[in-house]
Amino acid sequence: MPKDHDKDVYPEPPSRTPVEDRQSSLPNPALILSKLFYYSVDLPVTTFRVCLACLSSGKKSHYYHQKFRRVPELTQCQEGDYVCYYEAEMQWRRDYKVDQEIVKVIQERLRACQQREGPSYSQNCYKELQQFEQVSKAFQSRYGDLGAYASARKCLMKQKERMMAEQQQA
Amino acid sequence: MVGMSFLRTAAAFTARLNPLKRTCQASNLLSRTVARTEQVVVRHGSHGKRMFIIKPTDFYDRRFLHLLKYYIILAGIPMAAIVTFVNIFIGESELAEIPEGYEPEHWEYYKHPITRWIARTFYDSPVKDYEKMMALIQIEAEKAEMRQLQLEVRRHMREKGDGPWFQIQTLDKNLIDHSPKSSPDN
Repeated sequence: MPKDHDKDVYPEPPSRTPVEDRQSSLPNPALILSKLFYYSVDLPVTTFRVCLACLSSGKKSHYYHQKFRRVPELTQCQEGDYVCYYEAEMQWRRDYKVDQEIVKVIQERLRACQQREGPSYSQNCYKELQQFEQVSKAFQSRYGDLGAYASARKCLMKQKERMMAEQQQA
Repeated sequence: MVGMSFLRTAAAFTARLNPLKRTCQASNLLSRTVARTEQVVVRHGSHGKRMFIIKPTDFYDRRFLHLLKYYIILAGIPMAAIVTFVNIFIGESELAEIPEGYEPEHWEYYKHPITRWIARTFYDSPVKDYEKMMALIQIEAEKAEMRQLQLEVRRHMREKGDGPWFQIQTLDKNLIDHSPKSSPDN
């Protein structure tokens, strides 16, 4: 059997966080800058905040996240029942905001992954990429071109168009 | 005239030629040249001669800027002091789970103490605003329904004529004089 390739000639790429192997005797500028930043900005600000925390009164007040009840949607409202329309519209707006935040979280994850992995992100961040693609496609198809004056009615009409297009295709 | 200018140039030329030996020439007076004295460096003990510098007035500009700074600082310093002390001594709230069976007040959904104070003192709770809007919508819906009904009823009454609207008052039967009708062919 022919012998395997010489591992030293084509070394495998290092795993996630490579150990630094400095060969030049010059000081590392990144290290110098980070230490400078730490002593001039980070340490004073942290000590200041710690002092403030000591100084402030012990009892802390709390704030909560509001929980909203689910109300009947636009499709479940009687025709002409404007109060029902209003409640459905408000619920749709809250859901729109929540979906926007979900998209932002997924984007942030992908950005962090790309920052970590560097040039090989298209291989290593595959899961995040897929998730982002799926989520952004779904968001686009549901809320895509509704515009600034988006409303529950317009979203419903868009869904109707989507269903009609699907039926046409099938 | 030409002779005068010739004299003047001649005087200037001689003056430049012989700067030291410059007696008071009559041509000086005639030709209006000023004898140039030597430039000597003099050290004053003060800032030099006091000058009255002629420039356009900056009174209005300076007054405006002074008043601007005054009014901004008048409200700015108390506000800055209040915000600083609130941030230092009271501090922001912490996020917590809603305890069982407890309905938080509407201001307890905000983080910063000043926002909480504004929500508590000036604003209505969002639930109340929601209910107010729903009440307005209900009123308007009822008004619209009433108007539709009224139009429908008008149509019916006009058509059928058996309702209280669209009644035209006719003359009382007893007032009609039947006497000319008893002899038709006069």
